[in-house]
Formats: sequence, structure tokens, C-alpha cells
Amino acid sequence: MHGHNEAEFLKEVAGFLGVYYLALAAMNMTAALYVWKSGKALRIVKLGGTAATTAHLWLLLGLVFLLMAPLGFSGDAATMRLVSVPESFREIINVAMGPMVYTVGSVVGLVVLFVLRRFFVKPTVAWIGLNASLLLMGLSMTDPDFADIVRKADNVPIVGLIFMLGFFTWLGAYRAIENDDRAKRGLPPVEAEQREKVLVWPDLVYIELICMVFLTAFLLVWAIVLKAPLEEPASAVKTPNPSKAPWYFLGLQEMLVYYDPWMAGVVLPSLIIVGLAAIPYLDFNKKGNGYYTIDERKFAYVMFQFGFLLLWVTLIVMGTFLRGPNWNFFGPYETWDPHKVEALNNVDLSEFFWIRWLHMPRPKAPDGAGILRTLAMIVYRESPGIVLLVGYLAIVPHALVLGSRFFRDLFARMGFLRYMVLANLLLMMMLLPIKMICRWGFNLKYFVAIPEYMLNF
Amino acid sequence: MSDKNKMSVAEILAAARAEKAGAAKPTSDANSADGPSPVPAASDAHGSPGAESASETAPPETAPPESGPAKPIGPAPAAMPRASMSVAEMLAAARAGKKAEAGPSGSAAAKRAEPKGAPNAAAKAQAETGTPAKKPPAKSPSPGTATPGTATPDTTSILAAARQAAKPGPISKAQAAALGRPVAPAKPAGPPPMPERPAHLRPRERAPEPSRRSFFASFAGVLFGSSLAVGFSSLFVTHLLWALGFARFMFPNILTEPPTIFKVGFPSDYGPGQVETKYVAQFGVWVVRSEYNGQTSIYALRTVCTHLGCTPNWLEGEQKFKCPCHGSGFYKDGINFEGPAPRPLERYAVRVADDGQIEVDKSRKFNEEMGQWKDPACYIPV
Repeated sequence: MHGHNEAEFLKEVAGFLGVYYLALAAMNMTAALYVWKSGKALRIVKLGGTAATTAHLWLLLGLVFLLMAPLGFSGDAATMRLVSVPESFREIINVAMGPMVYTVGSVVGLVVLFVLRRFFVKPTVAWIGLNASLLLMGLSMTDPDFADIVRKADNVPIVGLIFMLGFFTWLGAYRAIENDDRAKRGLPPVEAEQREKVLVWPDLVYIELICMVFLTAFLLVWAIVLKAPLEEPASAVKTPNPSKAPWYFLGLQEMLVYYDPWMAGVVLPSLIIVGLAAIPYLDFNKKGNGYYTIDERKFAYVMFQFGFLLLWVTLIVMGTFLRGPNWNFFGPYETWDPHKVEALNNVDLSEFFWIRWLHMPRPKAPDGAGILRTLAMIVYRESPGIVLLVGYLAIVPHALVLGSRFFRDLFARMGFLRYMVLANLLLMMMLLPIKMICRWGFNLKYFVAIPEYMLNF
Repeated sequence: MSDKNKMSVAEILAAARAEKAGAAKPTSDANSADGPSPVPAASDAHGSPGAESASETAPPETAPPESGPAKPIGPAPAAMPRASMSVAEMLAAARAGKKAEAGPSGSAAAKRAEPKGAPNAAAKAQAETGTPAKKPPAKSPSPGTATPGTATPDTTSILAAARQAAKPGPISKAQAAALGRPVAPAKPAGPPPMPERPAHLRPRERAPEPSRRSFFASFAGVLFGSSLAVGFSSLFVTHLLWALGFARFMFPNILTEPPTIFKVGFPSDYGPGQVETKYVAQFGVWVVRSEYNGQTSIYALRTVCTHLGCTPNWLEGEQKFKCPCHGSGFYKDGINFEGPAPRPLERYAVRVADDGQIEVDKSRKFNEEMGQWKDPACYIPV
């Protein structure tokens, strides 16, 4: 891309890829050594007299990466093809990938990870998963479009974010499951037994000092290697295409695609803050204080991970890597073509209701009608959306109490007011994915659209 | 008390006359001399401007009496209990009494009057004779009338009373002798020093005419004479530069606003279905010739997305305006059809000017959802 051909691009990536595979090899061999030395190696299969353990597996993996390193260094198109994702696979991914697939896929993936968490937190499985994701990234780097997005100085932190978030989520889940298993056996959590204390001075302060020095050095190197992306002078009549918010606001920008700016920019962010501040008043579960656990506060854990991982982080990842010019959705291996045509025709709910289902024009006040009459006609026009929205926020909480024993317990524990606050916060959170799916699936623009008074929802 | 510092000519003259009269006829002031006259004089000074300025001229040794009037004890010490006199007043009274005693009665009074009392006496004399520029007599009772009835206290006893801070008031010499108290020996009384001339009577010194060189030298001395001066000078310079920079900041280096009313060529310049984008950069306007509601017309669309205010791009291939921020799309006529934009693009007012060109007026906007596109001011029929 950007004026240079495939060969030049491969030469550019080659240096990075070679080092990358060498690092992966070193990583796996270190793991093999550690597992071997510490005696934590697990036996996989028994081959004759000797047993193959995970130590052997990591060593083998390290050797494979070591062999891949010179291929990566070569910079030759034919050789590089050996360490690339196959073209057909890329095509399939590009065609299959869309906002719906991405978001629903993320939900399904997270649900699978949660349900099978006891399997996925095993260190061996997690290590394989890490290797697989790193390998996939390395193999994809030979694709110019993928490399272009991932190597952009703005986006490098997001790549780091994905891996770090995966690691820390895994770590939390690992510790939680350890404690949950202990709780089943009637043991106190690990944190309760590890009551050894260290001194703030010098132990903690030295650690902090060393961390500070290393982090500063790291930031210096980063700042020198990855230049700050400066753009042309700002102009009120020229908007960069695509125009992206800072990475940590990309979730908000994605939310703005589905809502009125007043809603997605003011009301919902305020609601997020209010909801977070309300947690201490809504959470009556005293367990899980000071130690990791999932089983003892499953509802809180699931809700937090849903709001954070799905509604914040996956939206950031989507906004960073998958949103291109004109805010169109692009697959990870797709060229960012500013003229990509997406046939969309988003329609308000009132239009669906009156025109498509009832086959009649939308109600409209005659010209020159008074303000009150115009307003009444607008409300009448938007009545399907208003009824739907009010019903969603007012009736669904009650339906949950009637239909689910869990929510009935919540209601009994919390009382009407606290329960309604909790339920409405949850429903507002759920409204975002619902709205996204309605937009992608049915081209629905707004449930309630009153552009005359800037009220769109 | 409006004119504190200056005596009027009349007062000065009166003072001079009184001085002469005092020298010639010492006995005229006698009854005030053996009374506690200086204190009333001081309190008198409190009341009348002339007297006060006169008391300022008192020599340093007689400073204590001056502090007396500052206290609010007011006009009539004779009528008040002696214990309430301040030490300074008592001292002043003692000194005055001693002087009066020491010398022969006539000249003593004159001499006593000379150092500090002279203008006072003059003022008093004025007050008694009813000359103008005087305060009401209630505030400054004349000592001559106030004193006669009371027993005249002895100065030493006043001092002793002051020193001991004793409740009982001062007593006369005879009473002291009767009580067996020690009587302080009288100090030898020398002639009191002449008071300095008041500042306003002194001839003004003329500053020497500064030469240019000395002027600049003194100027440089003020600016750089000491480290403090250097510090303040640099502070001043810094502030000056800052103020200049701030003034410059108020006139930023930007292009001025383009005119809000401008011409965009003749209607015949626009072909069917044309979207003219060359006015976007300067004016933020698309001039479009297209159909809206079955009527072909030329109109000016504002290049601001109705969702969040980015500038959409005109995509010729797809025949739509597409916003890069959140993906809102608009048809050629400005109607929103995709993405989150809640309402169509806005139109500006257009008209055919006198020279036949299209004139766009950005000060008027027309919103479709408000039904304003029916206004003929926002399109030119073709």
C-alpha cells in the first residue's frame, strides 16, 4: 500500500518478523526450561520408556519458531508465503467478518470461555492459546493491509492491550478458580492463608523504584521508536477520513454510531458513571472481599465482564482495527477503500410501523397547526417507539421477577427501589447491543425519532 | 479641621500680636498661668485647627503634651477628676507649673507662653474675643474660666501621683508638707529652646537644576543601583514583555472570517445533477443542482453533518455525502438515509443577484424537518 509494491513491503516487515519469531522461540524454550526445572511438567503421552511432557512440547514449539525465524528474515515473497496465512483463509475471514459476526462472535466466545473456564485457565491450555494468538498475528503480518493497521503507531498500544487484557483476565480467573476449588473442599481462600507481610520500606519502595526506572526507560524507547503521528493542520471544513477518537474513546465513538450525540455523548456516559457509583449501594453480597472468586459472586463477575470486555474493550478493538474510511466496517485483511459501497438505508421505527406495516403515511400535523397540536401529532407518530421503550424499562424488570427465581431473590433482598435501579441500569446497558443488532440486522435507525426537538433514541 | 497644616494669615497675625501683647502685658495671662493652663491648651489644640497646627510646632522636649490630645479625654480637664489624666498630661502640667513658679510671675507667664503656648494663647485670645475661624466654645472651654474654683495642685504632687499611680489626686505643696510627703527640689529652670520653625513657614529649598548627565546617572542608579533595583527592574521588564505578548495574543495570526454573503457563479454554470465542491474549503458550502420533491432547483447545502458536526465528503461514484466520523450518509438532495444522522443537511439562503449570479447567504439556514425547505429563499428553480 501507499505507493510501494509487495516486495518492498515484505522487506520492510522481514526484519520485524525474524526478530518476532526468535522472541517466540526464546519464550517457549524458557518456558520449557522452567517447567522442566520446577518439576511442573505434565505428562502428555507415554512413548515406550520415556514420557513426553509439556516441557518437551514447549521445546519442540521453540524449535519450530526457531526454524521460522530465517524464513521471516528472508524478505522473499516465495519464502514468506510459507509463514503467511493462506490467501483463501484471508478471503473467508474478510467476507465472513462483519459487525454482526464480530460482536455476536465476541459474545459467544466470551460465554464459551466463561462456561469452560476451568479448562481454559489451566496453564498449559492458556500457554497454547497465547502461542496460537501470537502465531496467528505473526502469520498475518505478511498481509499488507493487516500490517498497515497493526503497525500504525496509534494502534500499537491496542495490540498490547489485547494481550495484556487477555493475560490479566486469565490471571484473575485462574486465582478465582483456585479459590473456588478450595472453597468446595472447605478450605479458606489462598489470600487468607498467605498472611506473610513485608515492609513498605525497603521492600515495596525498592520494587516501586525499580519499576519506575524501567517503565521510564521503556517509555523513552517507545517514544523514540514509534513517532507520534502528527497530521496536517486542523481545518473546520476538512475532516480526516476515517476520523477516529483517541483509542480509549473508541467505544464511545462506536456508541455514537447507534445513538444521537446527545444520548451517546452525554446521557449514556453519565449513566455509566452513575451506575458505577451506585454499585456499593446495590451490591449486598459480602463475599469475595479481599480474595479472587467467581462462584461466590457470579452475577457481579458476569455483569462486569460483559460491560467491560464486551461493551468497552471489543468496541475499542473494533474501532481501532475494523473501522475504516467513512466509518465502514472492514475485515482484518481488507484494503481500506474509501469508496467501499455499503448499501444501507436506515429507517426509523415509526416508518417501519406506519409505512411498511400499516401501509399508510406517517401521521403529520397539517401545515400551520399550533405547537401543541404539532407536538401531539409527533408523539402519536412516535408512539410505537415510546411504548416499546417505556415497556422495556418498566415492564421487563417485573417480568424478570416473575419469570426468574434469581431475580425474585434479588427483589426480595433489595426491595422495590433498589431493585428497579439495578434492573434499569442493566437494561440500559443491554440496550446498546440490542440497538446495534437492530441496526445491523434490520437497518433500524431510531426507536424514537423526534428530530424536531433533538430527541432521538 | 479641614485645614490642619496651614494657619490662615489672620491666625498668624493674631499669633504675632498675642506674642507681643504677652511680652508687654504679662499679667494679662496670669490667671491661666497658675491654673493648669497647658493641659487645657493642649485640649484646646484638639478642638481648634489653628491651635493644633501651633502645637505641632512645639519643640521635642514638649512632645508629651501633644500625645495628650490624641486621647479622647476631651476638652475639660479642670472639670474632670485628676486621676483620669494621662501620665503625659500630668508631666506636661508639672513642667508648665514649675516654669510658672520658677520665674517672676509676669515674665514666667510670658516665657511659658513663648515656647508652645504662644499660638495657643493667640488662638485662645481669638476665641475669647470672638474672632472668626473658631470652633464652638463648648468644645474648647477657655482655661481662664474653667480653673478658678478648684484648688491648685502642686506639680510635684502631680508627678508623685502619676508615678505611684495613686488613686488620690495630686495635692498642693502645703498639703504635702502637712502629710509629711517629700517635696521634690525644684529643678533649675533654664530658658527653653526655641522651637523649630514649622515646615510651612520655612522658605523652600530650590532643587538644583539637574544636568542631563546627572539625570541619566541618577536614572541608571534607580534602575541598576542595587541588586534590589536590578530585581525590580527585571521584574518590570518581564511584566512589560508579558503584557506586550498578551496584547499580541489578543490578535491571533489567523485568516479572517470569509464573508457570509458571496457569489458562486451563474445558474447556467451548473449542469444537471452537478454537485459543486470547490466552495467547501473556503465557505463550507456545496452548491447543488438537483431534484427535490420532483422540482429541479439549485440550492446550497451546509457542509456540517447533522449528527456530530464533522464535514462529510461528496462521493461522486456513490452519489452521496458520507461522513467519515460515524458513517452518516446523505443523498444528493441532503436527505439523511444511513447512519446515525437524525435529520437532513441544512440549506443556506440563495438568490439570484442583480448581476445574474447566484448569491449565497450563510446567515440564514433552512431545516427540512421544520418544513423550511418550502421557503423559496432557499432554492433557485431551474
